[in-house]
Amino acid sequence: MISKWIGKRVVMGIIVLFIVSFLSFFIMHAAPGDPATAFYGGNAQTLNAAEKERISRVFSLDRPVIVQYGAWLWETVQGNFGYSSKEGRPVSVILFERLPNTLLLFSVTMFFIIVGSIWLGTVAGMKAGSMWDKGLSTISIASSSIPPFWLGILFISFFSVKLGILPSSGTEDVGGDGGLMDKIRHLIMPAAVIILTHVGIYARFLQESIKTESNKYYVLVARANGVAKREIQKGILRNASIPYLNYIGMTIPSFFGGAVIVESLFSWAGLGQLMVKAVMTKDFPLIMGGILSIGLLVVSSLLIIDLVMYGVDPKLRKGAYSK
Amino acid sequence: MLNVDRLTIEIDGKCVVEESAFSVRPGKITSIIGESGSGKSMTIAALLTILPLGAKATGHALFNGRNLLDASKKEMDAIRKTHIFTIFQDAANSFNPSVKMERQLYTFSGGRRGDTVQQFRTKMTGLLDELELSVDILKQYPFELSGGMLQRCMIACALYVAPDLLIADEPTSSLDRVLQKEFIELLKRLNEEQGTTILLITHDLDVVVEVAHEMVVMQAGKVVETGSVATIFKQPGHPYTKRLLDSRF
Amino acid sequence: MKSRKSLAFWCVVLGLIVAMTVFAGLFSTYGPNEMDMDTIYQPPGKGHVLGTDHLGRDVFSRLLEGGKVTLTVAGVSVILSFIIGVLYGGISGYIGGAVDVIMMRFLEALITIPSLILILAFQAFMQGGMWSMALIIGVTGWLVTARIVRSEFIRLKEAEFVKMAKMFGTPMWKIIFGHLLRNSVPAIFVVTLVNFTGAVFIEVSLSFLGIGVPSAIPSWGNMLFYAQNDILIGAWWIGLFPGIMIFLTILAINFIGEVLKDPRRRRLDA
Repeated sequence: MISKWIGKRVVMGIIVLFIVSFLSFFIMHAAPGDPATAFYGGNAQTLNAAEKERISRVFSLDRPVIVQYGAWLWETVQGNFGYSSKEGRPVSVILFERLPNTLLLFSVTMFFIIVGSIWLGTVAGMKAGSMWDKGLSTISIASSSIPPFWLGILFISFFSVKLGILPSSGTEDVGGDGGLMDKIRHLIMPAAVIILTHVGIYARFLQESIKTESNKYYVLVARANGVAKREIQKGILRNASIPYLNYIGMTIPSFFGGAVIVESLFSWAGLGQLMVKAVMTKDFPLIMGGILSIGLLVVSSLLIIDLVMYGVDPKLRKGAYSK
Repeated sequence: MLNVDRLTIEIDGKCVVEESAFSVRPGKITSIIGESGSGKSMTIAALLTILPLGAKATGHALFNGRNLLDASKKEMDAIRKTHIFTIFQDAANSFNPSVKMERQLYTFSGGRRGDTVQQFRTKMTGLLDELELSVDILKQYPFELSGGMLQRCMIACALYVAPDLLIADEPTSSLDRVLQKEFIELLKRLNEEQGTTILLITHDLDVVVEVAHEMVVMQAGKVVETGSVATIFKQPGHPYTKRLLDSRF
Repeated sequence: MKSRKSLAFWCVVLGLIVAMTVFAGLFSTYGPNEMDMDTIYQPPGKGHVLGTDHLGRDVFSRLLEGGKVTLTVAGVSVILSFIIGVLYGGISGYIGGAVDVIMMRFLEALITIPSLILILAFQAFMQGGMWSMALIIGVTGWLVTARIVRSEFIRLKEAEFVKMAKMFGTPMWKIIFGHLLRNSVPAIFVVTLVNFTGAVFIEVSLSFLGIGVPSAIPSWGNMLFYAQNDILIGAWWIGLFPGIMIFLTILAINFIGEVLKDPRRRRLDA
């Protein structure tokens, strides 16, 4: 049962990745200009006409886009992401260098956002009409209206420039020991910026779900029959967590999008910053590799959320939705 | 057992139940009858102090000598837990959809009386069997059972706790004819065999004739007539009751 | 009552911002690109209300002009995404059946892609002016609109008055525009507001990274791009004010959307 369900999800994820790659490939090839230049970016100027033609033939750049895509796809599924046109190194190597940093930033921020929003949202949702309840709505709207990178700029100007206690960029000190403390010091500001601009809105969503759930019929029935408050609250929380998880899943894509900007601001050497750099240097193979790996991260996070939901929501397990 | 006097309920300043008075005598089945919107369900909510936000109840509702309307939260919790059991109209939505039946039935029955899960299992199995429900439902979720089965589960809990007072708020309106009949029989049995006092809220005169000993007629937020079912059916005193009875034949 | 007051307040705030930027020429004290090398990095004070930047340009005047660019890009892109979203969602919802299933599956797949990533792909090879920026944000931002339009259409299609209209042989376009679309307006309006804030975020983010609107054109995002270096030498005012403007704009729209979303209010209006 579960394996079939997971299988279906995985196939969906692969289809998504396929569409992503096709769209981005097509978008970049539909752009005007000579294909070799598009492919080789800035380096193309150093090539003469014959070399350009040779490159075009080798990479079948003179063929229709769909054929080129087929060629690219064939190489990619075999694990060959090509070579960065700027650095000349294999794209897969570059991606693997960056992946740990992105994973670190993502997991740390997600962890604090989830823990924080569950705490705030539960307190606010369970105490209807209290200060927490009213305050959270306003604060969450306000905090989600702040552009994360701007908050980052303010942080840098205060903590790095004025107080000089935190590094303004990078993942570790140049010439430092590369130890854990060093990494944490660099992580604090980018992580704080993402957490502060996101935790409110997730907390608010949970708060609203809890409020909706508290007005359900079964809660009234349980209350009327003297069921212990703790027991009722446990039930409410469990049910409210289903739409909350769904919401996390829905916002994961834009969450990754936002992280790209913050990574760039703090020069956090992750996939997002890599993508921006690749776009600036028009490094086609690297852009495609970056898009695919960020897509893969999104798809796998969604799969994890789906699995958690599968555990929480018995209706999903019993297939009650499809009926 | 229950004496309600001058009960008035206001929602946001609007009066929905006005100066109503009736009593429920021990060992009897008393029925409150009235159209929807007559204030029946609000009266029950007030007795159980589960009124919606913005609603306020004044007057007296003496339950074994204790006024429910000014009882503290703690006292009320204790009364709801040990003395009264309430079955609601919409059985399909009376259970938490993502918790297994066993856990929920336990909190509604054994858990209230401090029984262990083991004790609960033994006793509940017998009751379910009596109600022609398979024990397997304990391992299932509410959405896998029908409305009729869920309502019978509620009855099973009522049988289990044997409360001083059983309140049933339109328990049959979401069931089909056959199930309605079964349900009425169960109420009767509960009353006759265990001597449970029952307060039955309904809009269905047939149900009243079938089971109730005494009845309270409500119209537009007011109690217009009270008395034994036999007397009222013979000699309705209030014009509304008359109309109600006439419409039945 | 309280919600009506807050709605009015935030509408005024948003109106002020829009008016100030649209009529930037009337309010600004200097030309937005007027350089003065003698007065670079001047803190806010006399002469330059909000100070000057690294080329001695007046921050206040650039702020108004930049707002015009940012809000125009966001506005145009939202109109575009609105049109695409209504078409896609409308077709999917109105036709239904297999077409609907396929179109929605495709949409579900697209929704899991961070739109910023696709925009980056676009920008890599199409770096143009502010219009191409608006175009790119528009063609990547219609997904949620489409989804809402579709569900509204499906809901309304079953409504009594639409069935009646069909029975009386009302032409299809009249049903779509007169009944379905008109009754979906409240829902579409809220999602369009949300899209607008999203578009502002994307414009400022990309320009901030230096791959959005060309740096010669002042926009709030571009101003923040330079501010990255300026803050390191302590010129905090260059980054502070554009950020506040972005924050206030998005805050106002979010609060307006919040009030409109409130079901209690919608019932009063209906």
